[in-house]
Amino acid sequence: MTTAAGSIDALAQALQAEGYYADRRLATAAFLALKLQRPLLLEGEPGVGKTALAQALARVLGRALIRLQCYDGMEQREALYEWNYAAQLLHMRAAEGQGQSVEAVEREVYGSRYLIRRPLLQALQAPAPGAVLLIDEVDRADEPFEAFLLEYLGEYQVSIPEVGTVRAEATPITLLTSNRTRELHDAVKRRCLYHWLDYPERERELAIVRAQVPQAGDALSAQVAQFVARLRSQPFANAFQRAPGIAESVEWAKALVALDTLVLDPEVAVDTAGILFKQREDVAALTHELATQLLAPEPV
Amino acid sequence: MTSLLGDARTGKFADNLTGFGRTLRRAGVRVDAARMALAQQAALLVGLERADLAAALEAVLVSREQDRAVFRELFDACFRNPDVAQKLLAQMLPSAPAKAPPRHRPRVSEALAPIYAARNAPPREEQKIDFDAAMTASDAEHLRHADFNQLSASEYRLVERLARDIPLPLPTYAARRTRPGTRGARVHWGGALRRAARTGGELLDLPLLARREQPLPLLVLVDVSGSMERYARLLLAFLHAATAPGQGVAVRRDVFAFGTHLTDLTPAFRHADTDAMLAHAGRAIADFAGGTRMGEALAQLRGQHARRLVGRRTLVLVVSDGLDTGEPAQLERELAWLRRRSARLLWLNPLLRFDGYAPTARGAAALHRQAHAMLAVHNLERLQDLAASLARLVRPPN
Repeated sequence: MTTAAGSIDALAQALQAEGYYADRRLATAAFLALKLQRPLLLEGEPGVGKTALAQALARVLGRALIRLQCYDGMEQREALYEWNYAAQLLHMRAAEGQGQSVEAVEREVYGSRYLIRRPLLQALQAPAPGAVLLIDEVDRADEPFEAFLLEYLGEYQVSIPEVGTVRAEATPITLLTSNRTRELHDAVKRRCLYHWLDYPERERELAIVRAQVPQAGDALSAQVAQFVARLRSQPFANAFQRAPGIAESVEWAKALVALDTLVLDPEVAVDTAGILFKQREDVAALTHELATQLLAPEPV
Repeated sequence: MTSLLGDARTGKFADNLTGFGRTLRRAGVRVDAARMALAQQAALLVGLERADLAAALEAVLVSREQDRAVFRELFDACFRNPDVAQKLLAQMLPSAPAKAPPRHRPRVSEALAPIYAARNAPPREEQKIDFDAAMTASDAEHLRHADFNQLSASEYRLVERLARDIPLPLPTYAARRTRPGTRGARVHWGGALRRAARTGGELLDLPLLARREQPLPLLVLVDVSGSMERYARLLLAFLHAATAPGQGVAVRRDVFAFGTHLTDLTPAFRHADTDAMLAHAGRAIADFAGGTRMGEALAQLRGQHARRLVGRRTLVLVVSDGLDTGEPAQLERELAWLRRRSARLLWLNPLLRFDGYAPTARGAAALHRQAHAMLAVHNLERLQDLAASLARLVRPPN
């Protein structure tokens, strides 16, 4: 394994070099996931960097990122594997006239070239150093789907009746994310390490905005970080239904740069509220008055 | 208190970690032996630096967001660095004022109790078991037409039990999952191939993939204000039993109680036993028998749990008498939202028992306008009707 996974600090620094600012607790969890070779289940509000962690980890480790986006009704054939049935049928028809033995036909029909590999299988068969598999928004898939995952999460293998058991060539680093719209089954959780991602504190958010939007001046970045941090904290959080995530603050900083804003004022904040909030009520809730309060210097 | 961490050099750490695991278990954090072994490995990897150890053990031993606070308090209590000087001082001067014990949440205190062994364990509450006399058929008949509101306590228990036995076949929709069959929209190629293999590569017929029938996801909103207290309990018990996972295909159930605010009862509904569910729900609901501000509760639902409404096919049951003290405009707005986002919004109204009932209260009027249908739920016969009404009222989408 690369040196980035040598210690918690090394991993945190390597992630930072890729633009992902992890706090020490998250770095510890990720470090353990690498060292213990366990899947890591990340839960947290939307936009706190669950998916981004997988992307950054893949770059740090020099591994390919394979992503499985979950959705309601997802089935094994979309997550694990599927046979290319049409091609198999054609093959069988073609082999018919050639007097091949039954075994030979069978071997070829269930050969690897007719196997369509879906993300889980791709991750298992990725050549060294292996892949980073992101199983995104597991909570969107329905409960029966979780059962498909168990064998993979526990043993890093999947069983295909016609082929046998496919084991990982190099253990994939596996991350699962969940927005917690429902509680995952204990069997899944038992196989994973767990980390709850909070919104970042202001300094970390500032660092992220600076790294992602270098064009923004120091004053603007600091204002953005402070504004968003206060939005998420009491008493302001009560006024909104959904607090903006890190992705929103970065987008907002970019928009402000595009508008040639040097210093935030309530006017601009209200005009660009549609970037911070994605719900009509929340956009309306950010009034001129509230924005003024949010931008006011912190009481000492 | 002595630290459980001890000194790593004396090799006590493993024992102490095991003790910590036991303490977590007592606090209701699910920790098994495999987890503890993993925690051991994790600790070796990150070293004994306090913050790192805390983060590592949390990543390994905690698997639910709600357990994090408990974990942290327990970690702080169990792995406090031994303050040798303080301990010596305490030994030399027995009158030295000891630090006031930190205030813990009840779950934590309970788990720590055996460690603070000085205290006597509080006596366990004896479980009382009441036996109801067997019910004769005529009693059952009598109860069938009685009003729940007028039942004595023991009768009430009987009704609860009866209610559990009425099956509630929920309407279904064609899910995205498929099963092989003789009709359907897609060809079941895997099956076709296997059959063709049997007939020498000849396709004699095409097996098809039909979409599975899945019960509509259920979202239940139960009014637990004073006027609804008994109905709420009964309806919860009934719905819990009638939609239990044992009854065929698992139904997705999300359950909330509302009075002055919203309480998520979904975790309580995970208990298999209805009494355990009711006990859990009773503990969870802080505003039992208080007032009703449905509009605010619904706004909370929209803000925090909007995704519990799955893809506009959720069947929403609002169990309420519509006696609302909140702002009518807000209630109307939130109900309109709920109606838009659900397959059917059904109002189960216990007040319908009165002949000539008209939804004139402001809350009731709003519910009446927004709900797709209003059903009576005031006695057992009506509960039996509920199943039939559901099938009639809910045409599955697509």
